[in-house]
Amino acid sequence: MITPTDKELKLIDKASAEFAKKELAPKRAENDQFPFGPFFEPVLGKAFALDFFHTVLPESIGGMGQGICALSVILRNLCREDSSLGGIVFTNAAAQILMLAAEAGDTLSEITGKAGSVRDFLIAFPVFNNPSEIAPAAVAKKRSDGYKIDGRVDYVVLGGLAAHALIPARIEGVDGFSFFLIDPADSGASVSPPIHSLGLNACPAVDLALSAVRGTLVGAPGQGAAIFDTMTDRLSVAEAAMSAGVMKGSFQEALEYAKARQQGGREIIGWSGLRMILANMAVHLKNAEMIITRAGQAVDAEESGWQACSRAAAIHVQAVACDVTTDGIQVLGGVGYMKDFGQEKRYRDAKHLQALLGMAPMKKLRFIEKITT
Amino acid sequence: MISRKETKAYANQPPRFDDMICSLPAAPKIPKAMVKETRKVVALARKFNQEVVRPRALELDRRMHEDPDYLPWDMVETINDWGLYTLWIPKVFGGKGYNMPSMCYFIEEIASACLSIANLIGVHYLGVCTLTSTWNMRLINHICREVTLGEKNHTPCLITLAITEPGAGTDVEETDLIGKGNITCHAEKVAGGYRLNGSKIFISNGHVSTWHMVVAYSDLKKPADTTVVLAVKNGTPGFSFGRKEHKLGQKACPASELIFRDCFVPDEFVCLDPSQVTASQRPPREIAMQMIDYVVSATRAGVGAFATGAARGAFEAALNFASTTVVAGKPLINHEWAQCRLAEMYKNVTLSRLTYVETNYANGLHGAFRELQKKPMYYYYKFMPAKFFDKIMPPLMNKPFMTRLSRKVQMDGQTDDEMHRTSGWASLSKFGATDLGVKNCQMALEMMGQNGLRHDRGAEKILRDAKLLQIYEGTNQLNRLNLFKCLIAVDCPQATVFDE
Repeated sequence: MITPTDKELKLIDKASAEFAKKELAPKRAENDQFPFGPFFEPVLGKAFALDFFHTVLPESIGGMGQGICALSVILRNLCREDSSLGGIVFTNAAAQILMLAAEAGDTLSEITGKAGSVRDFLIAFPVFNNPSEIAPAAVAKKRSDGYKIDGRVDYVVLGGLAAHALIPARIEGVDGFSFFLIDPADSGASVSPPIHSLGLNACPAVDLALSAVRGTLVGAPGQGAAIFDTMTDRLSVAEAAMSAGVMKGSFQEALEYAKARQQGGREIIGWSGLRMILANMAVHLKNAEMIITRAGQAVDAEESGWQACSRAAAIHVQAVACDVTTDGIQVLGGVGYMKDFGQEKRYRDAKHLQALLGMAPMKKLRFIEKITT
Repeated sequence: MISRKETKAYANQPPRFDDMICSLPAAPKIPKAMVKETRKVVALARKFNQEVVRPRALELDRRMHEDPDYLPWDMVETINDWGLYTLWIPKVFGGKGYNMPSMCYFIEEIASACLSIANLIGVHYLGVCTLTSTWNMRLINHICREVTLGEKNHTPCLITLAITEPGAGTDVEETDLIGKGNITCHAEKVAGGYRLNGSKIFISNGHVSTWHMVVAYSDLKKPADTTVVLAVKNGTPGFSFGRKEHKLGQKACPASELIFRDCFVPDEFVCLDPSQVTASQRPPREIAMQMIDYVVSATRAGVGAFATGAARGAFEAALNFASTTVVAGKPLINHEWAQCRLAEMYKNVTLSRLTYVETNYANGLHGAFRELQKKPMYYYYKFMPAKFFDKIMPPLMNKPFMTRLSRKVQMDGQTDDEMHRTSGWASLSKFGATDLGVKNCQMALEMMGQNGLRHDRGAEKILRDAKLLQIYEGTNQLNRLNLFKCLIAVDCPQATVFDE
């Protein structure tokens, strides 16, 4: 997966790596200024044209019909240069997979089939919260003409961008929570300005305030937790791939700098203390790549226990990426802290990515629960 | 049981008793009034936090995101009006003369609310400390009294330390490395002074400061032996500000480039050069290292305090979140794992604090604070009216014998062992506390999930701000090596440092 042997994966790997190098790397700092600078709309359009947002959609509804390995390759390559676009691709994929898990393929097909632009195609989703952890603050009431939703949904990623939003809400009188598809342009929906955040700045999130907003139920009432879990099982390894991409970018930048920067009369890579930091980064990176490769294969082949492989990969790689990117700044010293290099962004992005699909410690507890019950 | 001779011998085995614990011998020597004074300083910091820092920290940080070239003059003026830029300038030089260790407690408090604003205050004292570590009494008096005047006139007068160069960061902090470094800031000796050429980068508070303590070298081939410290004021011909860095965090504290092009610095503003220390028992190279050690032994404890504040800010953010958020059906604070994590974070705060406290005990016994903390001296300065010092001392400070006397006491009076002890402990505090500070920030964000990612919740800012602590005042790698040099290698005759 990370070094694909499959022909199709190799093509995907090459295309996404070239795209990232050409479209993302040169304007990384500029694109990162959002929401205080312009949004990289043209790049989003080009990514759409290359079908990055279609990767995990079945061919029957106009997708590429690829598995998690393909998505992981794309995400790894994008995030090596700039995680924001990776965040957009991931969020959209999470919404798509969740809808498929909820057997709402027809609704999804309607969205993707009618989409005339990338914004029409995208589905916003609060991808940094597991609603089983922090319960939804939105409530759906069943009326004769369908569901009406009141309340709020925080930190909806792509909320100001996408023509659709998939949100969790409690249904009055029903235990648990459910998912609903809403139109953020509904007259009852109020969308906040983009939220100023730690990382992934060009992957915008907003708060939604809802007042009698029409919602289409996705999945069975009260079954949100099970659907979210199914989505998490599949997508966790893709989360890990994003973090691995960030790690790779951080290591490469650190290595290049260490070869060029002099201190004490020689290149800093010549000092064994510094080499030890680089070695630790490289070992973590290599292990992460191996873990993701194996976990991705397990998920796509649905091997016995693939769910645990996927989740363990995410928990481990995301944590390690935070350490690696911290060292990535350290190797560069003062300049690593400045905006001129990509290291400070990777430090922010790695921590940001760790919060995908829920709180990091709760993901661990959920993991032990999964493998012991 | 054990003879006096044996006691001495065993206590001097590594780890030497005197290196292991500084608080025990220091505590009985501390004037009692210092405790009350420190309590007052902490209370002042909390008041300043409540009235100034907390209401404005996030807004200021956001503003710097929007406009990275914005300079926080309004905050500098507010700090000046609160009298915080003279709080730790000794009374003899026109300041308020609060005891030096109390600054760290103060800094911890401010840093727990905003590291960036804490730096706007604390970094000024890095400049003050550099100036005072030259023990040039005339210039210390001259420049510190400008700071005091700036407070009275509501015109802030801050001081920086300008040492880092584009091609040399770590190298300039060690005389063992500097000769091999890519040093370019040249102070050429000319009639009546020095002609300065080169540039300095990452100078904290540069753009908002008035005086700059510039560390330069009169012979670039032998920088360790020819270190000079020049006081350069804004407006000096040939001196200009370059770019203001765009940083990950600590955005309200500008990191500046200072550019010198044939900048003439007259002899009257030469704080220290080899010609001034010919009577010293140490050669200029060792004097340069001693001066750096005097500075960093105090200021690395300060960085430990910044880091303690960061660790505490992160802990408080996580505690507040846990206290107000229901996770998986019950308050997060009642999850056992969360309680263990909060306890771990609390431990990190406390361990960080202990490192800077112990370092300051070392400084009080053997370092920059030792004369000021002797009971007679402390009470003399504390209870003599400021007017007395303002009237009597300035003319006295201009007498060359005052500088000679001061250097005799401070430079010749400090042994190598004492230098190693203060410097080693300071490095321990620097890298120990800053690693824990960053760790706590990471733990807080993990606990807070998506809430930790939002700027408006404050926690992500601490993570961004805290990372710089592992870099400035010598990277944590350098400080590890310095600890090895000062506290370990002294007992390993076969060990060499910076000589791989």
